Amino acid sequence: MEQPVQTETWKARSLEELIRILHRIFAEDKVSVEEVQELMESYESNPEEWLQYAKFDQYRYTRNLVDNGNGKFNLMILCWGEGHGSSIHDHTDSHCFMKILQGNLKETLFEWPEKKGNGEMTKKSERVLRENQCAYINDSIGLHRVENISHTESAVSLHLYSPPFDSCNTFDQRTGHKHKVKMTFYSQFGERTVC
Amino acid sequence: LPAGLSQWFPALEVLDVSGTGLAELGAELLALPRLHTLLAKNNRLGGPGSLPKGLGQAPVGRSLRVLNLSGNRFAELPPALLGLRGLQSLSLGGNRLHGIPPDIQELRSLEFLYLGGNFITSIPPELANLPSLSYLVLCDNKIQSIPPQLAQLHSLRSLSLHNNLLTYLPREILNLVHLEELSLRGNPLVVRFVRDLTYNPPSLQELAGRTVKTRNVPYAPSDLPENLVRYLSLASNCPNPKCGGVYFDSCVRQIKFVDFCGKYRLPLMHYLCSPECSSPCSSASQSSTSQSESDSEDEASVAARRMQKVLLG
Repeated sequence: MEQPVQTETWKARSLEELIRILHRIFAEDKVSVEEVQELMESYESNPEEWLQYAKFDQYRYTRNLVDNGNGKFNLMILCWGEGHGSSIHDHTDSHCFMKILQGNLKETLFEWPEKKGNGEMTKKSERVLRENQCAYINDSIGLHRVENISHTESAVSLHLYSPPFDSCNTFDQRTGHKHKVKMTFYSQFGERTVC
Repeated sequence: LPAGLSQWFPALEVLDVSGTGLAELGAELLALPRLHTLLAKNNRLGGPGSLPKGLGQAPVGRSLRVLNLSGNRFAELPPALLGLRGLQSLSLGGNRLHGIPPDIQELRSLEFLYLGGNFITSIPPELANLPSLSYLVLCDNKIQSIPPQLAQLHSLRSLSLHNNLLTYLPREILNLVHLEELSLRGNPLVVRFVRDLTYNPPSLQELAGRTVKTRNVPYAPSDLPENLVRYLSLASNCPNPKCGGVYFDSCVRQIKFVDFCGKYRLPLMHYLCSPECSSPCSSASQSSTSQSESDSEDEASVAARRMQKVLLG
């Protein structure tokens, strides 16, 4: 029987403080999902603190690395133009936290397709996440698609993945077929990465 | 807009009047010769006179590069816009548009066109005459089909078609070699074999048009009424390699499924100029030789493989 993790209620008063506390939390052997989610939610988004990482691309959403957590986690900012969305994807056995910094994002949850699946994937639920809300997902919960459904506002979100991963599977909603993809960063630590 | 705007700020380059409740943008705008970006989203624009007369001819008409009118109430693309020859980016997302005027082709410099979140039911083939268009967003509309001419948009890098009423795509879409992003989710794409669809015999106009094109009958714009000159420019080539014919509105339509490496099946519509023609993916006589089938199957699947990495989700 595992010992319950000692959880605290943190309040991050700035992005820098959030990152510092995350380093502290992840230095331990055991990390509580609730603790991280509460911490992420406690940070009140202040664009001045993250604008340097928020690099938009005209054609699709971007992933901008903010901190690599001493190898324990990746913290990144995703920028979504109007109408930009992701494919349905998994999280390669990692924990995924997603906090809205600006605008709104729609998250649609899907069931894992059947092994021999050849039919439309089953939608479990959907919701629109508002500014400062933080969602959590992992592979045992299911798969999701994230999209900015606004035609007038862009959106910015803060993601934490632990352990870090650079590839995942994307799924065709109509057939359930999956396809492994490598994920790249549009910028790292505020600098545009040229591929 | 405040009166005297252009006198107080003659060097104005960027103007953002989003979310101010404006119902019209007046003539104060016209004499701003340095204005390249105008953001007027989330207002009450859309009635007649929302944009000032003579916009295209005014100094601001020549300088304007970016125009964002998303989140307003436009039921049609304001004609005053069409004179903006230098416009590179136009957004009318989240309005009430029911269609796109063919005259959109006058926006010769357009690279970015956002029309998501409207009530658009069809796309005029003239949209394909925008030579620099690289980003086209048509998601969240009521579009039932894509004209094959869109494949002429050689610069297109991103095409957003999700949440529409598409059941198939034109085969020519595989020709968009620079396409990096294509979204098709939320369309009722046909998943099963569809029998040959009904064929309407060609009109006399179509037969005459076909003859002019296939026999290379020379003509100049002065020889024909303007509408016929335009009609002739919309000829499509029959994909049957043995045919070499053209068609306009009357064609045989067949849905052919193209496999993307056995994982995705896209229904592509083949247009043939007559029932006697056959698609490159089936031979003329009913008994298909496996050789000719696999040859043209290869051609389609090579193009499909190229598109495969684009078509995710």
